[in-house]
Amino acid sequence: MARKNLRFYIAIWMGRLARFAQRMLGMNATYFPGRLAIKLCPDFINRIDKPQTIIAVTGTNGKTTVCNMLIDILTENGYDLMNNRAGSNTNAGIATALLSYATIGGKAKKKLGILEIDERSSKLIYPYINPTYVVCTNLFRDSIQRNAHPEYIADIITSAIPKSTKMILNADDPISSRLAPENERVYFAIDKLESDLEAPQNIINDCRICPKCATKLKYHYSRYHHIGKVYCPACDFTSPTPEYLARVDMESGMMTMELHNKAEQFELVSNSVFNSYNQVTVTAVLTELGLTPSEIQKGFEKLSIVETRYSAAEARGVEIITHMAKGHNPIACSCVFDYAIHEPGKKEVILMPDDDINHLTTSENITWAYDADFEKLNHPDVLRVIVGGIRAEDYRLRLLIAGIPSEKIFTTKDEKDTPGLLELKETDKVFILHQLYKTKAAKVAKEDILKMLGEERTV
Amino acid sequence: MGKIVIEVLYPEVANLYGDLFNMKYLKQCFEVNPEVTVEWIEDELNGKPAFASRDDISVIYMGPMTEYSQELVIEKLLPYKDRINELIEKGQLFLMTGNAMEIFEERIECEDGRKIAGLGIFPLYAKRKMFQRYNSLLLGEMENMKIVGFKSQFTHTYGNNEQEYMIQTLRGDGIHPGSKLEGMRRNNFLGTYLLGPVLVLNPELTKYVMRLCGVESPKLAFEEETVKAYQIRLKEFEDEKTTLQ
Ligand SMILES: [Zn+2]
Repeated sequence: MARKNLRFYIAIWMGRLARFAQRMLGMNATYFPGRLAIKLCPDFINRIDKPQTIIAVTGTNGKTTVCNMLIDILTENGYDLMNNRAGSNTNAGIATALLSYATIGGKAKKKLGILEIDERSSKLIYPYINPTYVVCTNLFRDSIQRNAHPEYIADIITSAIPKSTKMILNADDPISSRLAPENERVYFAIDKLESDLEAPQNIINDCRICPKCATKLKYHYSRYHHIGKVYCPACDFTSPTPEYLARVDMESGMMTMELHNKAEQFELVSNSVFNSYNQVTVTAVLTELGLTPSEIQKGFEKLSIVETRYSAAEARGVEIITHMAKGHNPIACSCVFDYAIHEPGKKEVILMPDDDINHLTTSENITWAYDADFEKLNHPDVLRVIVGGIRAEDYRLRLLIAGIPSEKIFTTKDEKDTPGLLELKETDKVFILHQLYKTKAAKVAKEDILKMLGEERTV
Repeated sequence: MGKIVIEVLYPEVANLYGDLFNMKYLKQCFEVNPEVTVEWIEDELNGKPAFASRDDISVIYMGPMTEYSQELVIEKLLPYKDRINELIEKGQLFLMTGNAMEIFEERIECEDGRKIAGLGIFPLYAKRKMFQRYNSLLLGEMENMKIVGFKSQFTHTYGNNEQEYMIQTLRGDGIHPGSKLEGMRRNNFLGTYLLGPVLVLNPELTKYVMRLCGVESPKLAFEEETVKAYQIRLKEFEDEKTTLQ
């Protein structure tokens, strides 16, 4: 950590003033105060005092949920901590959080910090905050324009993490489990599940070959995409042995983990494997911090997961479910498709995949749609697929190539016309799967469908 | 018409950005044409590619890959350099999308000064900048066909491709910013930085590829829908108000 100089003091005072002003205006201090402080003092994060213990959480999916769970459970157990929950996860967001929890002299007010870190901001953050732990949930393919591919992201993270940091990694992810290979580390994993496969079935699998000898990897179990327990048939490469191995039972909603040589049971807070990883991650981190299984369990019981990405309503026996399917993120979309088809009953699916922000200026890059498993929607229980948006004809073609019969596909340029294309005869469930920017349009469609059904009852 | 043989090189690594749908869609297209059967071959990195010993391959395809995989692929293809040159001279159809085309250049220059030797089939070289992601639309022309597509890359290619380009640009850059000539072409070796489902986006180009494979009047799978989606996109790309990045 560098010495504090006058430039630093000016930066922290101006930053705090900006934060105060934003608050007076009723705005959330998310990144602006930190951005200002960095502008005035480029090595601001290096110079400001940091909490003694910092847990940095990163990864493509689940990092926000993991941070929220950690903050809530630690607070529930009496820990006094700082975090960047209110702000952004880039260097400006971290600077904002650090100055918000510091004295005007730049001294840290808290001994413990939980920080969510954007993967691509690693180099601007890790060397200066020197985290005690870095937790990585997973690394998946994300937006190609921004993130290129997970190997690229893994290289960025590895090159930025200090040698003294202890890694908490996902043994079931053959990409992120190899981060910072020289560092001390522990692994978590979910043991073989009934729903596991012998080989990956998704379009995307970003770790098909052995990193040591380039032979095609084989799986003890394959969960989705590159997640699973791998081994190389030609050399000794294999998934690492996890210190924190969870046995997850979806049916009973429980997970068991051996901690301090005793099998401990925890109630699952989610009904999907994808989300259970978050709970496994949190249990591993909290145990590393010294919390007891009963303290962790107490925390899980108090959690109220805010499902902003999901909402449901029912009318005349038809359930209407809106769910975010993050555009340009094929993994997130495939996961949502998978969830929809595994729900019982006959379904009609409305898709609102357009990224309107792009459409204002340019013509949207839709290559990601050929990485997403639209093939999953080719299912006898899916009665209709309705696409609304400017790019609807692109998605019609994508659905046809996925093998979905032409008579099941309906398109319209305008999202608000999608409810009128529903059949609603034998339908048990209507899924509205929407891009982030189409949250409002999805809500409007849901209300319209309720009106069409003529009987409103929210569940 | 008889049998079409599609050879996909190293799909276990050369599969970024939905590019495998170039061949999956092409296969669907061949299959709607009467009396055409398709043989599908996937070559593995640790195996011998089919083209090394077969002369009946209709199209050899490879898609974009990670930077680490580029080095692996160069190493695996180097023993077949003479064979590739021989096939190009014979008029064998190759299609390379995204950074797959760089494999056939002389070298890839990295930021740290390292130079990765390529197959050296084309007198071109690539420069890689890992912190400058380049994203752009491209509108171009190739044998009276209007081509539309997307680029997303860390590299640009330099050198003289004036005699050996694939697409004349109308909007957007060629092999590097300022270049008007996109990709590489020698006989029926086609290489372009365009990535993703290039054939799905370009029905005319798909027909062109099918004709090169010997189907005289080709029909496309979902022809009407493909053409409709293409026309909507073409109109947007031709509109000067549509920004390229
Ligand atoms: Zn191996």
